[in-house]
Amino acid sequence: MTYNKPLPKINADTKEFWNGCKQHLLKIQKCGDCGFVRYPPSFICPRCHSTETEWIVAAGKGSVYSFTVNHVAFHPAFQEDLPYVVAVVQLEEGPHMLTNIVGCDLSEVRCDMPVEVAWEAITGEFSLPKFRPVL
Amino acid sequence: MAQGINNEVAIIGMGCTTFGELWDRSASDLMVDAFQEALEDAGIEKKDIDAAWFGTCFDEVNVGKSALSLTKTLKLPFIPATRVENFCASGTESFRGACYAVASGACDIALAMGVEKLKDTGYGGLPDFGNLLGSQNRAIFANLTAPGGFAMLATAYFDKYGLSPEEGKRALAHISSKSHHNGTLSPKAHLRSEVSIEKIMNAPIIAWPLGLFDCCGVSDGAACAIVCRASRASEFRKDPVYVKGLQIAVTSGEEMAHQKWDGTHVIPTYRAGCAAFKEAGITNPREEISMMEVHDCFSITELSTYEDLQISPRGKAVEDIEAGFFDLDGTIPCQTDGGLKCFGHPIGASGIRMIYEEYKQLQGKAGERQVASPRIGLTHNLGGFPCMSVVSVAVFGNTL
Ligand SMILES: [Zn+2]
Repeated sequence: MTYNKPLPKINADTKEFWNGCKQHLLKIQKCGDCGFVRYPPSFICPRCHSTETEWIVAAGKGSVYSFTVNHVAFHPAFQEDLPYVVAVVQLEEGPHMLTNIVGCDLSEVRCDMPVEVAWEAITGEFSLPKFRPVL
Repeated sequence: MAQGINNEVAIIGMGCTTFGELWDRSASDLMVDAFQEALEDAGIEKKDIDAAWFGTCFDEVNVGKSALSLTKTLKLPFIPATRVENFCASGTESFRGACYAVASGACDIALAMGVEKLKDTGYGGLPDFGNLLGSQNRAIFANLTAPGGFAMLATAYFDKYGLSPEEGKRALAHISSKSHHNGTLSPKAHLRSEVSIEKIMNAPIIAWPLGLFDCCGVSDGAACAIVCRASRASEFRKDPVYVKGLQIAVTSGEEMAHQKWDGTHVIPTYRAGCAAFKEAGITNPREEISMMEVHDCFSITELSTYEDLQISPRGKAVEDIEAGFFDLDGTIPCQTDGGLKCFGHPIGASGIRMIYEEYKQLQGKAGERQVASPRIGLTHNLGGFPCMSVVSVAVFGNTL
């Protein structure tokens, strides 16, 4: 099966994150100086500007912070998925992650709904962290 | 200590084309029309202009890089001319360049022009942001769209303030219906029909909870302004409009990464508003602003802007909306010309089109949509997403 949607492009900041995803590990960063846990990946801590960074594996649990249901595709490759949910999930560890909510009826999605990571392996190299309701 | 440009700059002439699907006219045609109107309005000649600023966003689909297309089209005589681009604030950014030039004393008279031709791209929304969103387009941007980004602002707002989807959508529909009504009184607008609240609420969904009429249109257009030092304005006309405050705030990125932002409003709008009010000497915006043109790319953007500009208290915008506070006959009419909702959004032109409306209103020349005895007008642009944006806020008055 070929995957026709745009693929992530790995750079120095995101390499560790995508390598984690490939193994179905949700890796985020923790500042070695102030302890601030962050996502998306960045070279320095946005709080204290330290370059001391530790990668930690998030539990993959959180809750829906906000969401929308896209009924129009602005990239043709997503046409077949319509309608689909784009959401901001607040991870238990703190950071917000932009993602999709899958595995439930669209009308069931609510703010504050508990969700957990649901991996979607799209190619041999990439898995995407999507989220589904905790049953 | 910096004093800002309050009362240092006057607008002495403006021009604005009709906005719409202008298949038969090029960006150059639009610039010429806007410029001709502004020259006649100011009563000056081309040779009186000392410097020019040119706002256009998408050089790929428009007029190319640099300010060459401006100077060649208008045949400006070897004067300094600068192209600027700052997302949806590009038009206001060009106006800022012209204002700073005369405020500093470097120029006597300066021109700001904004233009965009989008319909020819064949695209219904903004052109492809693929390169802008960069390397993590699938994970960080889970095919998030512009409507989707603002829709999440609405979802978070409804949730925070306990609005049901029905209540929230009804308030947003009031905003769009009000703007469409104003658009019917606005001869240069693109969309000029009444649209009822019921029709708006039942329209096809684009990105839930936002439907078709929660989104602004796409159009072609140009607008321009001629400014001079305020002390010389009376040489040109008896009713100049003065720039009271003009500020731009660009995010530091902390909304996305610092986790303190609650996703229900736009921090740079609040910050740009505070800075512009300080510069303009405005201490109570709700009492002092007469009318305003805010960036209604989506209805929810307009709602959150009411609160970020401190017109409505946090969480209270819906009460004001439903009381008709922002309607044409309300306390602070908003989008008196129909806004982006009816003009569409030719990005480089929009900011100056908004200033054009405040200018005409403050001169008492807004025809059927004239606000009674206005004193202070405001314009606002927001480019980007709620979580990372460029915002301009400008304040104008008809007395020093
Ligand atoms: Zn730190």
